[in-house]
Amino acid sequence: MPLMLESIICKPGMRHAAIFCLVLGASGAAFYKVSHRPPPALFHLPMIEQKIGVVQKSVNAAPAIRTRFVSTQQNIAVHAASLVELGDGRIRAFWFAGSREGAEDVEIRTAVFDPSQDAWSAEHGIANRAGTQRSLLRYVKKLGNPVAQRAPDGTLWLFYVTVSLGGWAGSSITAITSTDDGASWGSARRLITSPFINISTLVKGTPFLYSDGTMGLPVYHEFIGKFGELLRINSSGEIIDKQRLSSGKTTLQPVVLARNPQQALVLMRRSGSSPKRVIATVTDDAGQHWSTPTATTLANPDAAISGVVLPDGKILVVLNDIEDGRDALSLVVSADGGTSWRTVYQLEDRRGQPKDQARYMQITGELAKASDAGIPDPAAYAKSAQRNKCEAQTCGYEFSYPYMIQANNGDIHLVYTWNRSFIKHVEFTRAWLDQRIREGGNAKLH
Amino acid sequence: MPNFTDVTGLAGIASATAAVVLLLPGVAGWGKPRLAILPAAVFVLTLIPFGGMPAAAYIRGMTGDLSITTLVLLWSALLRPWCDCFEAQARHRYALLVLIVCAALVFYPMALGAGAFDPYRLGYGNPQFVAVLFLLALLAWYLKSALIALCIALAMLGWTAGWYESGNLWDYLLDPFVAAYALAAVMSCGLKAWKNCN
Repeated sequence: MPLMLESIICKPGMRHAAIFCLVLGASGAAFYKVSHRPPPALFHLPMIEQKIGVVQKSVNAAPAIRTRFVSTQQNIAVHAASLVELGDGRIRAFWFAGSREGAEDVEIRTAVFDPSQDAWSAEHGIANRAGTQRSLLRYVKKLGNPVAQRAPDGTLWLFYVTVSLGGWAGSSITAITSTDDGASWGSARRLITSPFINISTLVKGTPFLYSDGTMGLPVYHEFIGKFGELLRINSSGEIIDKQRLSSGKTTLQPVVLARNPQQALVLMRRSGSSPKRVIATVTDDAGQHWSTPTATTLANPDAAISGVVLPDGKILVVLNDIEDGRDALSLVVSADGGTSWRTVYQLEDRRGQPKDQARYMQITGELAKASDAGIPDPAAYAKSAQRNKCEAQTCGYEFSYPYMIQANNGDIHLVYTWNRSFIKHVEFTRAWLDQRIREGGNAKLH
Repeated sequence: MPNFTDVTGLAGIASATAAVVLLLPGVAGWGKPRLAILPAAVFVLTLIPFGGMPAAAYIRGMTGDLSITTLVLLWSALLRPWCDCFEAQARHRYALLVLIVCAALVFYPMALGAGAFDPYRLGYGNPQFVAVLFLLALLAWYLKSALIALCIALAMLGWTAGWYESGNLWDYLLDPFVAAYALAAVMSCGLKAWKNCN
């Protein structure tokens, strides 16, 4: 050991003085860092509000709804799709796919929807377990839910769940970025979000922006407790704040719905026993404080929800509006900030349908054809559904994990898991929605 | 090319592995040269890629990065054959372990969801939290508890410099492994007479 270092470490007087200097220096540096911490920011509202006049005059003014499949690969399991609008107005989808959920071969896949072509591009993988592991320089066991956000500088951020230890409760979040709207991706980085070996933070809800350009990422924790959280991330990908949206063991997958720069409603999936209702919390100070979570009138069978705030302030939510199962999917709207809800459209409803394999194959084949008239072989789609949703002689229908965004031109895009086998896309215009809202005066009121 | 924070994270894991090897039976009686070569060799071995990744990366995948407190305790053990200055800190080492246990028993349950308050949030640059740590480090220095002052000061320095991927000060102060070790050591000590422990 060098003599000087030895004299500092081993001579009590020198050591005492050195430690004093270290304490002062380290504290000074820490206070300097704290003083440069970004102040709280307001919610950033999308530009759709200011373009409403344009939307009225656009080609999308006609009431229209279209459905199609995003994913095309058959005989695999897919889940947890998400969407992001790119700089040129195209929509990019992400989801995970593999031999089964949690398998080592699960990868994050993507495809792009071009509204001018009215078609999805071919899908391809952008992240897998081995690549993520190499990039993170850590063992990774499996991949899960992906969500994306386009930063103000045009960088596309993709956040996805990775597990190194145990099941989904052992999840961490990994981020990758793209500066060309997803054509190519940089190396992965791990977000450190939990003090307990960084386990149990997952993503599902739509990310959003704050007024200062930082990103808000709704996440949830499900190790011992189950509760919603909100991360604030700067343009370098550093977490600069983390807030708890709920506590206890019953809330998951928060969705942040900013109504104006100060006010937001957060809806959360209810996990566990009664009441089987969507849980809500609100803020009136841009997220500095959140109300005590309370049950809404919306039913929830322990399933994910998604939503958007429309430019006129109405809140549009898509969810499995039932207490058990995931075989019905509804669009509901609230005109009073989330106090009451009205069903405006039933996207899927297979409640009470036959579940024997023969009838299931026939019905899912018909559903596939109705979902996307362009598919060449509906029977093959039914076979994929049978692979993922039939056990012994009984099958189940599943329309779950919705993810909805409103594009800058006012159109609304929704994707969800179709029988764990395909990702289905529903696209509708604001005019169609307004028509449904007007016609739905007698629809089910929650 | 690995990131700086990957290098520091892996080096931390490799250091811990090297220090743990010194606890193997019979090693304590070795001479200084062998005591230097063994941990150095283990440190290097855990960083050599096997099957695409070094062993330290597999460990890191499951443990995450080790706190500065863990590294200070490990390095004080590694350096013991060459410098016995930390031996004089035995009483203060026990105080550090008690401090870790107290902090962990309050911090982890709350950070994992017990109640609405999340103390982990304080680690993202809360000025009051930094002030408390500064006062605690100053008090430790005044009481000549070098280990406590060193752990807090180096943790603050590491956090400021972005030593690890984490931007949360708690991750530099505490990790579950040092908490578990401290709990076991304090409980073990509690079972013996206070005199024997010192």
